Amino acid sequence: MDKIFLIGFLIPSLPFLAFFIIVAFTKRFKMISALISITAIFISFILSIMIVLFQIKNPAGYLKYDIPWLYIGNLKMNIGIIINSLTAIMLLVVTTVSLLVQIYSIGYMKGDEGFSKFFAFISLFSFSMLGIVIADNLMQLYIFWELVGLCSYLLIGFWYHKPEAADAAKKAFVVTRFGDFGFLIGILIISYLAGTFDILDIENFIKSGNISEKMLLLVVILLFCGAIGKSGQFPLHVWLPDAMEGPTPVSALIHAATMVAAGVFMVARLFPIFLSSPDAMLFVAYLGAFTALFSATIALTQDDIKRVLAYSTLSQLGYMMLALGSGGYVAGMFHLYTHAFFKALLFLCAGSVIHAIHSNNIWQMGGLHKKMPITSITFFIAALAISGIYPLSGFFSKDEILLSVLHSGNKLLYYSALFTAFLTAFYMFRLYFVTFSGQGKEHAHIHESPAVMTVPLIILSVFSIFSGFIGLPDKEFSIHKFLFLDHPEKGHFDFKVAMTSNIIAGLGILFAYLVYGLKVVNADMLRKKAGIIYTILKNKYYIDEIYLFFIRKIYYTLTEAIKWFDRHIVDGAVNLVAFLCRWAGGKLKLTITGKVQNYAMYIVIGVIIVILVLYVYQPDVMNIFAEVK
Amino acid sequence: MLTLLHFIILSIVLFFIGIFGVLTRRNAIGILMSLELIFNAVNINMVAFSKFLTPQEIYGEIFTIFIITVAAAESVLGLAIILAIYRSRQKIYADEMNIMKW
Amino acid sequence: MTSLVFFYIFAVLIVISAIFMVTSRNIYYSALWLALTLFAVAGIFVLLNAYFLAGIQVLIYIGAVVVLTIFVINLTKEIEGKTEKQFNKQTIPALLALLTGIVLVVLAVLKTDWASRIAGWTNYDETAKIGNLLLNDFVIPFEAASVLLLIALIGAIAIVSLDKENK
Repeated sequence: MDKIFLIGFLIPSLPFLAFFIIVAFTKRFKMISALISITAIFISFILSIMIVLFQIKNPAGYLKYDIPWLYIGNLKMNIGIIINSLTAIMLLVVTTVSLLVQIYSIGYMKGDEGFSKFFAFISLFSFSMLGIVIADNLMQLYIFWELVGLCSYLLIGFWYHKPEAADAAKKAFVVTRFGDFGFLIGILIISYLAGTFDILDIENFIKSGNISEKMLLLVVILLFCGAIGKSGQFPLHVWLPDAMEGPTPVSALIHAATMVAAGVFMVARLFPIFLSSPDAMLFVAYLGAFTALFSATIALTQDDIKRVLAYSTLSQLGYMMLALGSGGYVAGMFHLYTHAFFKALLFLCAGSVIHAIHSNNIWQMGGLHKKMPITSITFFIAALAISGIYPLSGFFSKDEILLSVLHSGNKLLYYSALFTAFLTAFYMFRLYFVTFSGQGKEHAHIHESPAVMTVPLIILSVFSIFSGFIGLPDKEFSIHKFLFLDHPEKGHFDFKVAMTSNIIAGLGILFAYLVYGLKVVNADMLRKKAGIIYTILKNKYYIDEIYLFFIRKIYYTLTEAIKWFDRHIVDGAVNLVAFLCRWAGGKLKLTITGKVQNYAMYIVIGVIIVILVLYVYQPDVMNIFAEVK
Repeated sequence: MLTLLHFIILSIVLFFIGIFGVLTRRNAIGILMSLELIFNAVNINMVAFSKFLTPQEIYGEIFTIFIITVAAAESVLGLAIILAIYRSRQKIYADEMNIMKW
Repeated sequence: MTSLVFFYIFAVLIVISAIFMVTSRNIYYSALWLALTLFAVAGIFVLLNAYFLAGIQVLIYIGAVVVLTIFVINLTKEIEGKTEKQFNKQTIPALLALLTGIVLVVLAVLKTDWASRIAGWTNYDETAKIGNLLLNDFVIPFEAASVLLLIALIGAIAIVSLDKENK
């Protein structure tokens, strides 16, 4: 086996090994558990860098290694890895963020009872997420897909003694299942048609045109269902804000940077399949744009710092979907890559604040800039990045997305994306000004977090500033030369679009500054003017309530009827069989007399019957010298 | 002239008389004795086949010796069990030993 | 011709004494009829030139098994059969099974082509050959049989010996 494959297999295996060691041996020794976990992910990080360096030499190439697993009829199932540019960039993102978040967690989770358990789960998560990234066939992808779902469940419900956390964990699990169900059906249909689970083979199959357009549309939409669930696109977005009940590092790693991006990654991985169905692409684009706008409006009114960030995440994921749906393969992945850094940074800053204040409500914060300077500055950088201000990383990726939407020629999507960018800038700086500026509330003992927490913040802010430069067109290190579908693109830069997006973001920031920084405009007055709209936004469009109504009124009525059917008809049939068996047994038991000679009689009669039957039907058998046929 | 068929038919008759005894005798000792009849029917068969079909090899007779050995061991153990049952129940009628029924 | 006469004498003796053995109400008589049957079987062995087996038949079956059986009959005091029924309720089905069984198997035997299989009849000293075979080719089954007998012996003693409480 080639060395590079060994590395590819090692990257996910190491965190799994760490998980195993922690669970089996070192659960009682907290620091050792943390060190094992961090060492494992650190080695994976180094190996990922090696993969990236290897891939840079030949960006167009890909390496694939398969081990046969199950061959059922014509259906082949392998376990294998694929290494191409997409894998490399995603490996880098996942291991980097995972490493930094784990280091941060040492400070954040200090003194928690489940310290070792936390690191075990995080390692298991890293294993599963990296497994998704290197999977070269859909079944393997699906297995790891479900595994990250499990880890998400475990980590959201990490503080399971809190009823909200337990409920949120269940909600996340059940809601994502809806999407995964469609995903699984999609996988099964396409694998059945193509006779393989292998992604490249499926792509070739679709290119060969042996599939009708309608069937292709159905399959692509079903596959996209998985992304809808995992990446929290409308209407399955309801789980992500509730998932903020988990520990903040978990929110940063799983519910901002990596797992929720798995949906985007999956669409990118299967991009040739998606591309072959223009209708489905349009659907992806519209759903992405709608989710982006929809979540951004909700984020305007929320009070919980983490929930604002959660809605922001939804919005940005919608952005990535919009990019992919508009054909912007590079743009979507590029935004995923930059977003992972600045969103993780935002969450970790929020964690730092929560760690100090012990509250999630932004109105109980304020004036924290003086007391927590590092947190404040890094948060500011991340907020600028997500707003898309030049020259931070968010600017480049957002610009890329806007360009690809503009090139697709759909004006409606373009303007909605611009408006979302405005809203993004506004709610991010609302958050910043309310939390960090102005007069401090009376908190006596607030101080900056320890170095183990601030160092990852600083590293991530460096990433947030500089990671966007690979988006510069026509440079040696340009992402367009590394990540592409068929041939390297040139990369464009449209001054007009860049200026527009910057001005719009600047307007958003200015507006937020006026309302919440200088308080020139009264926030309460705005609220009153908005009236009913504000109430709707505050209640998140009543989506949860609508779901509850459906479940309580319609679903429960239906299940009552099914329950009656089950209790009386199905169980009745089962009971009938049981009754018949019992009755027959009652009669037949009389033959068991306990007398040996009766039993001997049965044997003799049986033997005679056998001889008779043979005599009648196969007379040759009775001739003991008959030739054996 | 004495043929194989004579011996086979004799052994069949003896065998089924033994079966009849096993099926009908109440006395457990009677059952054991009927079993000896069955063994003897088999022995006659064995020796007759050995003599008529493979006269050079006398494996049939060797087998008969082993059957006699096993039959002896069987009857010893059977009689011992009957004796033990007789000690505890004062009866050795097979159709009265029916504790293991429904 | 002489052998045929002797065969019929022994065959009739075997069948009649076996029937008496099975049907006799007195278990003691049954044992004696059994001895006669076994003796006639020994005669059949002689007709088959199996002298050694005939000797074993008389020594082991009549000398050991039947005698042991008679001992046990004496010990169990069940020799009087006048008050107790000696046959169970399935006499008639057993009789039917007996007849159908005999008819079926005899038919099957008659159907078989024996003539082409029968080899010649040779007379030779089979006792020496049996001894040779037992101590060469069949030495392991032979030893196993001796162990079996030993186990049966010990087992019989263990089953029959009295418990401490019964002493």
